[in-house]
Amino acid sequence: MLYEYDALSSLRQPDAVVFPRTTEHVVKIVKAALQHKLPLVARGAGTGLSGGSVATEGGILVVFSRMKQILEIDLENQRARVQPGVVNLDLSLAIADEGYYYAPDPSSQKACTIGGNVAENSGGPHTLAYGVTTNHVLGLEVVLANGEVIHTGGRHWDSPGYDLTGVFVGSEGTLGIVTEITVRLSRKPEAVKTLLAVYNQVRDATRTVAAITARGITPAALEMMDGFTLRAVEEATHAGYPMDCAAVLLIEVEGLREAVEEHADEIEGVCLENQARDVRRAKSAEERDLLWKGRKTAFGALGRISPNYYVQDGVIPRTRLPEMLDFIGGVEKKYQLHIGNIFHAGDGNLHPLIMYDARDRDQTARVEKAAKDIIVRCVEMGGSITGEHGVGLEKSDLMPLIFSEDDLELMSRVKNLFNPEGRLNPGKLLPTGKMCGELRGGLAGGGQV
Amino acid sequence: MTLAVDSELAALVGSSHVLTDPAACAGMSVDDKVPDCTVTPAKAEQVAAVLQYAGQHRRAVIAVGQGTKLSTGNPPQRYDIALSLRKLNRVIHFEPADLTICVEPGMTFGEFQTLVGAQGLWLPLDPRGGAEASIGGIIAANTAGPLRQAFGGPRDMVLGLRIATTEGKFAKTGGRVVKNVAGYDFGKLLTGSYGTLGVIVEACLKLFPKPPERATFTMQAGTLGIARDVRRSILRSSLSPMRLALLDSAANTLLDNPRESDAKPGVELWIEVGGSHRVIERCAFELKQLASGVGGVLVRREGAEVAWGKIADLARWLRPKYGDVTVLKAALPLAGSEEFLSRAQQEAEAEKIGLASFAQVGVGIVHLCVLQERRTPNLLGWTARLRQAAADLGGSLMIEHCPVEFKSGVDVWGARGDDLEAMRKLKAAWDPHAVLAPGRFVGGI
Repeated sequence: MLYEYDALSSLRQPDAVVFPRTTEHVVKIVKAALQHKLPLVARGAGTGLSGGSVATEGGILVVFSRMKQILEIDLENQRARVQPGVVNLDLSLAIADEGYYYAPDPSSQKACTIGGNVAENSGGPHTLAYGVTTNHVLGLEVVLANGEVIHTGGRHWDSPGYDLTGVFVGSEGTLGIVTEITVRLSRKPEAVKTLLAVYNQVRDATRTVAAITARGITPAALEMMDGFTLRAVEEATHAGYPMDCAAVLLIEVEGLREAVEEHADEIEGVCLENQARDVRRAKSAEERDLLWKGRKTAFGALGRISPNYYVQDGVIPRTRLPEMLDFIGGVEKKYQLHIGNIFHAGDGNLHPLIMYDARDRDQTARVEKAAKDIIVRCVEMGGSITGEHGVGLEKSDLMPLIFSEDDLELMSRVKNLFNPEGRLNPGKLLPTGKMCGELRGGLAGGGQV
Repeated sequence: MTLAVDSELAALVGSSHVLTDPAACAGMSVDDKVPDCTVTPAKAEQVAAVLQYAGQHRRAVIAVGQGTKLSTGNPPQRYDIALSLRKLNRVIHFEPADLTICVEPGMTFGEFQTLVGAQGLWLPLDPRGGAEASIGGIIAANTAGPLRQAFGGPRDMVLGLRIATTEGKFAKTGGRVVKNVAGYDFGKLLTGSYGTLGVIVEACLKLFPKPPERATFTMQAGTLGIARDVRRSILRSSLSPMRLALLDSAANTLLDNPRESDAKPGVELWIEVGGSHRVIERCAFELKQLASGVGGVLVRREGAEVAWGKIADLARWLRPKYGDVTVLKAALPLAGSEEFLSRAQQEAEAEKIGLASFAQVGVGIVHLCVLQERRTPNLLGWTARLRQAAADLGGSLMIEHCPVEFKSGVDVWGARGDDLEAMRKLKAAWDPHAVLAPGRFVGGI
């Protein structure tokens, strides 16, 4: 069954898969599930990376692929109202001619849905400057576990009352099923410049990251790829990346022409001061697209050279990047694995990709240990267990690493308010208590970050 | 309050931190209700202990930072303990290169900006209460001024919170990294909850580099129609102003010239841009073109920071002259500001209500300050009609400040939609004995 998987892995099949077209359909489904005491799992395109949309306990999988209408585009008020199944990039494409776009841009944006983005509070390369999904959602229509429909937030900022929209975004389908989303639209910048800084040492690249922000520049995006990843990507995409370097930074600046030119010059200076051996600028839109294509399809490229890989998603303060990359190098040696690093460096959001062959049980066990070591180190550095992929199934039992029993008890209490029988996306986000501190859900998958 | 209760609180925080002197407590009054005592804890653990005590004994608590926004809200149903957070004003963690900071809630915004400003950073907010407002109060009220145009509000800057609950526990949400999706985002829930769910004892915030240069321009727009056209052109341009405010004639006159001897006709747009010298020159050029296109003149204002501070906190600057100025705040789809202002002006004229108003026209927030306080049914009726006007435009209207007498006839927040029951449940989950600012929030929460 196709719907047994997301980009992570699967454990069990759903009992039924339904494709609603309207909010009323969703209400009927929710009421039927209530009557028959069945679990309900909402799902967009299944591009998630933490097992958030797999039906681990069976029940009804509510797939939003037929609720994909853009209901309203209101450029005068810079907002749009969409159904959850609208593909992220489709919204931006629909308004591109008018000079607007929807800012959150997960790497899977050609496939992932806005409903899924809302559930996971998704990020993307350009969140460094523009924020993640929650910063761009104004209001939601939500079907609650009892079939009641509520509307949170509004069409404007500062609706009086508690910010329920802020609570539902990122709640991973455990508090209700979102059936309509009002988002903010952004004006496309006048100018964009994309730079590629090439390094012979990983440490020089990671040091550059904090050095750029220290100059008072916030790039629109600041991504890093290490040499190992880069070579795999280059072989797959022929984006023109250098094959013999230790790391590259992909840096983008946006805004007024004047600002973009000045920032690009200044960033180039910072890169060279930090021993970049070369700083290239994309000369055309095509060159820029090619550089980004390499970045956004990197996971697939790694899939070509390894039967399986596991993507970790951890966050650290960006000043700790040099230290962290050294640590990951140590983990690689300790467990005799290959780890690629491709990540949102500006945010300190790491994505180590650990290569393995799932048929090799010993190696798989080492991958789990390596992934755990890395996430524990993130927490020790003052970071988090997930920056954008979500807790889902995979990391629910890692929650005690960053939250106390009291914290988790309060989260459970809030979950129980909206999800009293635990039928909404069971087994996700909060620890089950069965395997404390272990990665669950197994290791598999592809997907994009 | 009995002596026993008094001593129990004193045991929790130290007797010098508990005041029962009526004169001292009067200073913490909310809507004319005076608490029995004022407790000023020095540590987060003491905050939790006081809240636990309050929960167990059903004593109503209002958390107070610097008290700059205490008049916002419905009158409290009960009010026994004022919990002053002004002694919790330490820096817990500050790493300038990470652009993050964690502080205690009682730190004032002025102290905060000075501290981070020394590193070339700032929190790009211009909240009500200005430099005097506390960080905790700014978050609890989610107040943002015109800088929201470019940077968003407190909601977008809070990375993590530590919250003391009425069960005497702490709840953590988020952290001190800029990206984090672990667990429910209670940071959003607490931001703007006006101290009705828990008390913030630590806040981690995202900082921004200060722009190298800033410049403020003003443009006489004449009519609201012209102002709307200019606002549209600016928002469709690539200029991305940091602040964009529309002042009516009264507000603009009072801002520059408190004697009103030289009243300024028509509305005026205030625009601030930031960036390098070249960026500012470019903005100046384009704004000048825009102004001449509508027959206006663009003026560059030097030293405009003081004026912006007044705009962000207009009512405060009006009070010495006009007394207890009632302030209404409308939140609208962003293109609705000018039309709403026009309605408000018409209605005010009909009721002979004096008005000074400013609108954050790029985000759809309009503040109306009533200059002739009369406390007549006219004012109530006028507010009701404006509330309807805001609703017609797809927005809502709240009373940010008004005399307490006025509050008996009106819900300051306005009607809430079909999510009120969910809000009530959340309140019950966080504050089961309803001891935090009971009755002050939306829907009587």
